[in-house]
Amino acid sequence: MSAAVQGLRMTLRMPREAEEPVEAEVARQGDEDTLARRALAGDRAAWDALVARHHRRVVVSLLARGVRVDRAHELAQETWARLIQQQQRGLLTELRLPNLALTQAAFLAADDARRSRRESISGAVEELPERQHPVDPSVSAERRLLSEEQLSRAHAALAQVSPSARTVFLLACDGQELPHAEVASRVGLSVQRVRQILCEVRKKLRSALEEETHA
Amino acid sequence: MLKPHLTRDSAEQYILGALSPEASAALEAHTLECEPCARLLQEEAVLSEQLQEVAQSFPREDRVIRPARWHVRRAAAGAVGAALAAAASLALVLLPGGRAPHPSGVAGRATTTAALELEMGAPRAIVVACPDLATQDSCMQAAEERGLLVQYPWGTGEVPRYEARTGLPEGALSARHPVSL
Ligand SMILES: [Zn+2]
Repeated sequence: MSAAVQGLRMTLRMPREAEEPVEAEVARQGDEDTLARRALAGDRAAWDALVARHHRRVVVSLLARGVRVDRAHELAQETWARLIQQQQRGLLTELRLPNLALTQAAFLAADDARRSRRESISGAVEELPERQHPVDPSVSAERRLLSEEQLSRAHAALAQVSPSARTVFLLACDGQELPHAEVASRVGLSVQRVRQILCEVRKKLRSALEEETHA
Repeated sequence: MLKPHLTRDSAEQYILGALSPEASAALEAHTLECEPCARLLQEEAVLSEQLQEVAQSFPREDRVIRPARWHVRRAAAGAVGAALAAAASLALVLLPGGRAPHPSGVAGRATTTAALELEMGAPRAIVVACPDLATQDSCMQAAEERGLLVQYPWGTGEVPRYEARTGLPEGALSARHPVSL
């Protein structure tokens, strides 16, 4: 391990090329900031907007953990309910989405799995299939989904797609859950075309990730 | 019930939210009765999560680049040299836009621009967002102890934060430690 500890370096802000003016980026973050602030103040409409934006990601993250789809929807609802409850009790001082919701959902899923495991033991039922046992969120919060090699391969593959396809992919997957319609209007394409591009990039990255590494 | 099995495409469309409500409901219902299709859906969901990680760790120009990447695995740079070169070319173009070093920088700031370029060009690192300059030292140290790197704000779902150092009230809900009610 080449643990060359690098010192603290400055904060750099890089200008962005063409496609997206800096103002738009600022506006988007401002929008998200404003929503989060309003939600923290108890504004229900702001919560609704945030839930609408991030709900799908929460459900998908639960599916990825092997939660059944019906339960995933329930747990996602429960996630929002708990966050709102925390806010109402004044325990929520900062609202960073989707992180906070994803972590809360992972916690609920693990809790769920523990409970069903207990039940299956006490009821002497056969062991539940592996996919119903999500990992412990305290571990998964720092879990790396991908190895360095996989990430490098995926980045290389991404560097090779067309700039506009890359822009679409990065806009759609940067964690801010921009709706596809919003992505489409920013890049001047139809929603259908945006999804088509997403599927194409996804296929390329899938094979990049699956590629076997030969040492 | 004999609803059709999922295909990769349909699972993908479902994950992307491109299916009609009816088609979504039918697909969901099917996965509740068909284990292989439930697995397929899970695989696609896992891929989606992985792609988020790929997108969020892809070197980008418009981000605030937070300090240092630790444990940069330079060894890997040789192995995937071509790949990195391709990605690096994206990042390097923008370097001239960077600002002068922040006055509050500490040890190791002597790193040359060339080294910085190299690091920025190396796409990797799921990392930690440190809250501000005042707490950066302790935050970075904590991150280093855990083998994590430091990242821009607006980070990913996998990135813990360090609110403890920002003086939040006891019991505040944290992204790292979900609260049980
Ligand atoms: Zn099936």
